[in-house]
Formats: sequence, structure tokens, C-alpha cells
Amino acid sequence: MALFAVLQTTFLLTLLPLRTYQSEVLSEPLPLTPESLKVSINSTKQCLHLQWTVHNLDYHQELKMVFQIQISRFKASNVIWMGNYSTTVKRNQVLHWSWESELPLECAIHFVRMRTMVDDARIPAPRFWSNWSSWEKADAQNSLGDHPLYVFPKDKLVEEGSDVTICYISRNHQDNISCYLEDELTYGKQLDQNVWAFKLKNVSFHRKTGTNFYCKGQGVPEGVVLFVSKVLEEPKDFSCETRDLKTVTCTWDPGSDTGLIQLPSYTLFESFSGKKTLCKHRNRCDWQVTQDSQEVYNFTLVAENYFRKRSVSILFNLIHGVHPLAPYNLFPKSVSATNATMSWKVSSIGHNSALLCQLQLLGEGKVIQQHNISVRVNGEYLLSELKPDTEYVARVHCAYADHFWKWSELISQNFTTAEAAPSEAPDVWRDVTFVSGHPTVTLFWKPLSKVHTNGKILFYNVVVENLDEPSSLEVLSVPAPANSTKVTLNRSSYQIYVTAHNSVGPSPASAVAISGHPENENVEEGRVNGTEDGFHMSWKPQSRNATGYVVEWCDDPQNLPCVLQWKNLGPTNTGTVISSDAFRPGVRYDFRIYEISAKGMAHLLEKKAGYLKELAPSYNPEVATINLTSHSFTLSWKDYSTESQTGFIQGYYVYLKSKTGEKCHREFEKTVLPDNSVGCKYTIDNPDQKTFVVKDLQPESVYEFFVTPYTSAGEGPLDDFTKVTTPDDYSHILTHIILPMIFCVLVVTITCYLKSQWLKDKCYPDIPDPYKSSVLSLIKFKENPHITIMNVNDCVPDAIEVVNKPEGSKIQFIGTRKSPTETKGTKPVYLDLLPTEKNYSGPGPCICFENFTYNQAASDLGYCGHFPVTPQAPHCQLGPLTSPENLLKTLEQNYMNSLGEIPAGEANLNYVSQLASPMSGDKESPPANPPEPALCSEYKMQMAIPLGLASPAPSKNSSLSSTALLDPSEHCH
Amino acid sequence: MGYHLLAPFCLLALLLPPLPFGAPMSTAESVKQAYNLALHLQRQTSTLLQTYLQHQGTPFSDPDFSLPELSLSTLPDTEMFFETWHGLEDEVRLSLIQEAFWSFSQHLRLVMLDQDDLNHGNSIVEDQLWKARLKAKSLAGNLADIMTALGVTTPPANTHLSNVPLGDTAFQKRCRGYVIIRDFGFWTDRAVTFLGELKDKYSQ
Repeated sequence: MALFAVLQTTFLLTLLPLRTYQSEVLSEPLPLTPESLKVSINSTKQCLHLQWTVHNLDYHQELKMVFQIQISRFKASNVIWMGNYSTTVKRNQVLHWSWESELPLECAIHFVRMRTMVDDARIPAPRFWSNWSSWEKADAQNSLGDHPLYVFPKDKLVEEGSDVTICYISRNHQDNISCYLEDELTYGKQLDQNVWAFKLKNVSFHRKTGTNFYCKGQGVPEGVVLFVSKVLEEPKDFSCETRDLKTVTCTWDPGSDTGLIQLPSYTLFESFSGKKTLCKHRNRCDWQVTQDSQEVYNFTLVAENYFRKRSVSILFNLIHGVHPLAPYNLFPKSVSATNATMSWKVSSIGHNSALLCQLQLLGEGKVIQQHNISVRVNGEYLLSELKPDTEYVARVHCAYADHFWKWSELISQNFTTAEAAPSEAPDVWRDVTFVSGHPTVTLFWKPLSKVHTNGKILFYNVVVENLDEPSSLEVLSVPAPANSTKVTLNRSSYQIYVTAHNSVGPSPASAVAISGHPENENVEEGRVNGTEDGFHMSWKPQSRNATGYVVEWCDDPQNLPCVLQWKNLGPTNTGTVISSDAFRPGVRYDFRIYEISAKGMAHLLEKKAGYLKELAPSYNPEVATINLTSHSFTLSWKDYSTESQTGFIQGYYVYLKSKTGEKCHREFEKTVLPDNSVGCKYTIDNPDQKTFVVKDLQPESVYEFFVTPYTSAGEGPLDDFTKVTTPDDYSHILTHIILPMIFCVLVVTITCYLKSQWLKDKCYPDIPDPYKSSVLSLIKFKENPHITIMNVNDCVPDAIEVVNKPEGSKIQFIGTRKSPTETKGTKPVYLDLLPTEKNYSGPGPCICFENFTYNQAASDLGYCGHFPVTPQAPHCQLGPLTSPENLLKTLEQNYMNSLGEIPAGEANLNYVSQLASPMSGDKESPPANPPEPALCSEYKMQMAIPLGLASPAPSKNSSLSSTALLDPSEHCH
Repeated sequence: MGYHLLAPFCLLALLLPPLPFGAPMSTAESVKQAYNLALHLQRQTSTLLQTYLQHQGTPFSDPDFSLPELSLSTLPDTEMFFETWHGLEDEVRLSLIQEAFWSFSQHLRLVMLDQDDLNHGNSIVEDQLWKARLKAKSLAGNLADIMTALGVTTPPANTHLSNVPLGDTAFQKRCRGYVIIRDFGFWTDRAVTFLGELKDKYSQ
């Protein structure tokens, strides 16, 4: 059967030329066989390239044929792909067909065969496949060397996101080979005994220099580099324009880079003309306009790389896409204070077409003027209504006048107008102080705003006009940028004019009137509250003829000198808001509101003080503790100023803490202090009260107090408490009684010390020493060895004669005999000395040898007295120590003691003069009547002498002396 | 390079008179200059290798990357034993070093070309390669001058390299660049040591 079919086909093909020649329509299929099939390998593209011919075709014959192709791998029977390829075949035509292998062709032997069938409508069915051609082998491994390891494909170019298969051929079957994509181990599939394949899916872009895939066994690693390309994007924003009607420039956004060294190509096609141009840039392309008649262009931009081709199209009208070049040579041709002429040039378009140019004037960055001008070559425009001495920017751009599409680029030029005289008078205010009755005026003015200076202010002129002496004018020139000056005036009325000058001329004058007399400062001060906006203040007008009001203040009152600030207000204003960037919370601002009269005089209207925001006091007063008693003390902080605080002081808190108990005193309330301790608090709601008496305290107790002011924002900081210890109740005695006494005694002591000699002379003169008496010298002179001085202690006193000096009379007392031993005792024993005179009716004066005690009363009397002395009346004492008589007695006793003959315990020895007349009977009894005080007697030292020596009669001189004549037999033992 | 290649140099060393230690000052200065240049090159070469590897991707940029088994037949030999090298006469070693650096200047040019294909626009690698090649060429010239001054025959300059292996694929080119720079470092160390000794000899 097959043989029959072959014979039939051969027969038909033999007849085919004849039949074709006879008729154009074939009625039977002709079996044709592909011949000369050759298979080659393109390693770069990993393609099998097939080449064959079809014989037995007539010379002019063309037949549409189908070729069925089979491809096997490793062995012929392992068909991995089969497909048809249809084409029109001519006689002796060499046919080509390629097949791209997924697996690198170097890793496997491929076999290819094909058969054919005529698929031409002119050949009637049925149609038959020809026989298969013989298998053709494609073996790339033949060209490999003797390396132990090969990896394919070499330097593969792939698109990001695609799949790629990599294989290796190992000549050493024993080698254990691992493969890595970059640093990631990859697992493959064994295709043959020594061939492994790795299918990498969705490969990603690592770097522009490619992705390494390498395998390594025991020897040198082998690998390939995959050059991964990002997907080529379609060009965006494709548009064209012309700047001169000669060249069309098309631009586009190419999108992200593909990441390959090989850049995609961009080609611009124009379909009407059929021309194309290869673009030199990846985002721009120029197209030369050659035919004037063509206005419309159909451009297609084709972007192409190894993998893709992208295209976008646009229909472009040349006239509608004119984008003129930027004008040039823009400059101010002439500039005055208020005008400027600008000039510029434009590039011509086409046949002298007109351009529409727009001239813009910018001041401080904003467009303030805009003008449209039609220009062919040169443009010019006069800008007016400009401000003097102002910097402007002129800029211009142009568009195609016939059809506006797009402005050209802008060009700009700066220029400054000329200066003019200042247009406004400076804002002037004054501060008047009186020094020695003469007003000293400090003039302040604010710098003119740039709008009004019209140039650089060089100086200010101050003209002082004395209104009382019209001919008197004083002119001061103050160089800029000074903003104040001081003028000393007389007690006259003045008008002061201030003008600002620039290089062109002066400004209008600003006038200030000065009265020359002190203003009334007795204005009640009010308070004003600050807000976020500033200080809202209002006032009551005093005069209906006010021409305005001025509010003045200091921006930074804490720093002196004050930089005066002021605000002018119109006559209809009765309130305003004072705001300043310098205002700070916690700072007191004093505002003075002036009313300006019709004559320009300023009268103080109101004073106001306020805080932008009151703060709690920043510090506490220094409190002194005064009037400390055992039950109270007073706190005083009079030096604390309420004016310079961070808020209006509303009062004070007095905190008191007691260690004795937690109960608070009256008028105090218990409170928790900021340090969480408990204390007592008293609120003083009068800011002017700066003393406080803490009462009802316990003596000898410790109290702690702390005084802090408070404002509407709170109280002051918590400082340390001050401790106070109340004294005890008796301490005032010490203070008021004992201390003065000590002081007095001290004064007396010092006085006595200083006057001791005088006192001694007066009250305690030197007692004559009998051993040193001149009598002794007389005795010694007579060489009587028996002569000695009588020791009084060895004698029994008998009588004593007291000579009353003022009266010049001698009084003899007769005393009782008493031995000295009898006088011993703890109590003084008093011996009455009786007068020997008969006419003495009363009791005689008594002389007591007693411990000398000061008797103020007696001393005050100024005389010595004999008082009845009884044991029951021990206070009866002798005269004052200060009296000479008493001192003499004391000295005498001391003298006796000095002799060593009187025991110490006998200091109270009573002494009775032996010269006294003996008394009978009643000598032991005290006198019935107390003696009358006698005048002080002068006491003379008595001395006991032998009788023989006492023989000389007393002379008149000695009549004033007391003599003691002692009986030796009776008194000397 | 096999030992049989050293035979002519050994013979040459025998024929030539020994190096006069009281050489002219200019020769000593040349040796010193060559030593300083080699020293500078030594410091630069380690940096060059690190930079090169960092720009080739994994596995080249791995910290412990090393391919000791990889060699290039066209490069100067690095397998000579230390004792053998020190057993050679100064003239022979001088000649070998001069030849090696001339060869490396050619191979470094090849690396530059490869990198231009693989890492086009990477100025860091290209700049360092260019500097290294320039200095290698200068050192070879300096050594040739010393040899001329000492009366040693200068080997003809190999002006063109051909058929350098490992150039089929991008991966192989990267390997080739690595081997060239690695061996360049080896020979730089060898040159520093030798020129240091020679400098000491001539400074006496």
C-alpha cells in the first residue's frame, strides 16, 4: 500500500509541470519532500537553525506548503517538540526556520527532522504528508574542550520576571557539584548521566553588572553571568513642539532604566512622509522640517531593546506647537523715580511672524504690573507708577501670536528707581523732664517706613521755635540712623519741628509743642489686663477739642534707659490695643495716655499698669523678726517692693509651723505646703501690709515661719522656713532689772576706783602709827629703856573721852569695866559710855565697836549718833562707813589686830576709854532714854603710856585730843 | 613558569660578573627608587584586590573568597619554592621581576578591558586598575634601567598578549581578573623583598 502511494505521488509530480502548463488550476496534490536539511546552533540566542530546500518545483511555480518539524533531545526517539511551519515555496528556494531552545543547546544533543505537505488552494484535496526526512543531529558538545566542568548558557541576557534554564556538564562523574545563584544554593534536575539542569523562575534584577550563577565541585568553579534586564517601559508624556518652525523637537519620559549596559534604542517615525530618524537621546529627538507645505505630522516613537518594542504616536500640527525661544537682552533703557522704560529682543520665527510678549513687573516678589506687547524683533515698554528708590524685577516671556500654545522661558532684569524726597513726616514724640526748673526735652522719632523714605535718610533736622520769642530759632541736625535727641529749653512755650532728609530733600515736618511748665502728674493709676493680642485699654476724653491721643510705654522696662514707645491715635479714639513683640509675661508695663490739645500740647490723661500675663512672684521678701517676746513676735518685710514683681501683689501668705503641736493658732488655717508638709497659713489680703504679729505663742518654743506674696497666678516659691524660739517669762526681768543694776554697780565701782584716793582722804585718812610717832623719838631721846607703848589689849578699858570738836567741849564717859574676853561672842556686845558731865541728863552717847556695816540712813543724816543698842535691836549700828569717825574706828581696830594681841575672834572688842569718869550703880544698865544724836566727834588715836610720862599737863593744843590714862597696876599685867 | 625556563638566566648569571657592591651612586638611587615604587605598589595592591572582588558579586565578594587552584598560564610563575628563588643570583631575580611586571602591566590592561565590558562606568575599579598598571609599567622600566646599568641584558618587551585563557564568558573574565590581581600582589611582595635586599647591598 505504501509503495503504491509513493508511486502515485511520483507519478503526479511528474505530471505536475505538464498540467500547470496546461492549466493554472491544479487538481491533485503533489508529494514534495524537504531536502538538504541542515541544522546549526546559535549559542548566543540558543536557537537551532534549520535550512532546507524543496526540489521538484517548476521554475515559476509558487506553492504554499506546510512543514512539520520534530525535535528530539539526547536521542532521536525522545521527541520534545513538534510543530508546523507554513510558507510559500519557490523553486530552489532555501528555507530557514529557527527554534529557540529552553535548555541550553550545549548541554544536550538535538535531533531534527521534518516532512512537508502542499497546502495550496489550487491543489485539490486530499493532501498527503511527504515522508520524514532523516534525523539531523545538532551537537554543540563537540566544540567543548577538556575542562572538567562547563556551565551554560554563556552570558545569558534575560528579562526580569522571566524563567531561564541553566545546565552544567561535568566530565567527572564522581564529583559532587553544587550550584549557586549568587549565594543561594540551587537544586536542579539530572537530564543525563553528566548533565544537570536548573530552572530559575521569575529571575530578578540584582545589579547592572549581572547575576552570577556558578557551580563548584573539587576543582575550579565554573559559572555564567545572567544579565537581567528590567522590562522596557512605554515612553510617557510624548509630545512635540517647534521653537522656530524649522525643527520639531519631541520629548518623552523613558521611564526607569532597564539596568543593562546595552541601552534601548529610540526611533522616531513620521507616517505621512514615511521618514524615520534614530534618536540620539533616550528622552528627546529632533526632526528637521523640510517641506514648508506639511503642517501636520504623525509621529510614532518606537523604543526597542533585546526583548521588547514599545511605541507611542502623536499627531502634531506645526503651527499649533510653536514654543518660541526666550527673549534676550532685556534691560532698563531709562529709569526715573516713578518710571522705567524696558527694552528687549526676540528671535524671529518663520517669515517674520509676530510674537506676543508679556512684560511683568515684580515688587517684593509679587507681580504688581503685567503688560502684553506685540513684538516682531525689538520690544519696548514704559513702566509707570513706580515707587522711588525701590528695587523691581522686570521679566518678559513671549508666545506665538498666530496661535498661542506656550510661553517661552522667562528672562528677568533687576532695576532700582531713583530717589525722591521723603513723602511723610516722621512720627515724633517727646519726653519732658525738668532739671533745675528748666525743661529738658528728649525727642524720639520712628524711622520712616521704606514706603515713605523714598531714598536713604541721611539726617534729621530739628527746629526749635520759641513761641514767646518768635525770632528765636534753633536748628539741630541729627545724623541718621539716630532716632532721638535732647534739647534743653527755657521756661517758655516752644514748637519743635522735625524733618527727615535724604539726598533729594526733606520730608514734611512733624511738630511737637512744649509748654515749658511741669505737667500735672497727679493722675490716678489704673490697671489694664493683658491678652494674647496685647493690652486693651480705653480712656475718658477730657476735652472736646482734642486732636488726638498718644499712648506711651517702655518695651523693656526692666532694662534702663527706657526705649520709649508710643502710639498715635486719632481724636475719635477712646481706646486701643497696644501690642508689641517685646512684651513678655511677668513684666509690668506702665502706660501713660496723653491727650493732644488743639495747640499740639500733650496732657497726661491716665496712667495704666498691667501685665501681659501675670506670673507667680519669683522671689519672696526678706522677713525680719522683731519684738520677740515669750508669747509673740512680729514679722516685717517693709523693704519688699510690690511694684517690680511678676504680677500684681494681692497679699501675702504667712506660713507657720510649730514643733510643739499641729494645732494652728487662731486666724491661721491648716494647709498642706508644697513640700507636702503640714503647716498653718494666714492670708494677708492687703498688699500694703508688710508686717504681721504672730501671737498666742508658747514660751520657750520653736516656731518656723515663711512669708510669700501671691498674685493672681499663684504664690511665690517655697523657700526655707525661718526658725524663731520664744524666750521664757523671766527673761524680761533679767533684761529690765538685773542688767541695769549690774550696770549701776559697775559705774559706781569704776567711779570709786577712779576716786579712791579722794575717798580715802575723805573717809579713811592714814592712821598715825604710834611706833612711828614723834613721841617715841622723844622717849628714846631721854634714854629711858623702860619706856614702852601700852598695849591696849592688856588694859582694861575704863573710860574714854570723847571730844566734841564743834562744841569744843570734853565729854567723859564712864564705862563699865569689862575684860576683853567678855566681849567675845558671836553677837556684838555694846558698852554704854556714860557722860561724866553732871549736866548730862540723858543717856550718854554709845560707841559701838562693831562690824562696820553700811547704814544708808545714818549716812544720809550726816552725823554720828548714839543709839540705844540692845540685842533685840541689832540693827542699831554705828554711823555710816563713810563717816570719818567710823572709818577711824575701823582702822583703829585693824591697827589693834595688827599688833597680834587680839585674837581674830575678838574683832568686836569693846573699847572704853580709861579717862572716862567711872560711873556708879547704873553703869551696867542701859540708859533709860535713847540718846539724842550727837554731832560727829573727831576721834583721836589714843595711846597708853606710863604714868610718869603722862605727867605733863595737857596743853591747849592737846585739849582737843582725847587722852587715855591707864592705871598700870590695874590694867597692866 | 617551569624551572627549565630559569636555565638561561642561570647560565647568564654565571657568565656575567658578580654585581659590584661599590656600584655608582646612580644605580643605588635607581634601586632605591624602584624599591620605593614597589613598596607603594604593595600597599595599593591589597586595596585593589578588595575593591575588585567587591564589585564582581557573589561568590567573589564573599569575605572568605579564595581560588588557590585557579591559575593563568600566561602569568609569571608563582609556584617557585622560596629556597629556589633565594638560590638564584641577583641578576636572574632582577630579570625575572622585570619580566613579571612587564607581563602584569599587560594583563592588567586586559582586566581593564574586561571590566569595561562587565562593569562599564565603574570608575572606582577602573581607576585603581589604571593606577596599578601604570605603576607596574613604571617599575618594569625602572628595573630595566637598573639591569642596563648593571650590564644585564634586558629581555625584549612583550608588547602584546594573545590567547589569554579564561575569556570566554563573563564569569571567566571575572575569574581571570581575580587571578591576575592576586598574582600581581604575590609578585609585588616578592619585588619588595628582593629590592629591599638589593637596596641594602647598594647602600653599604
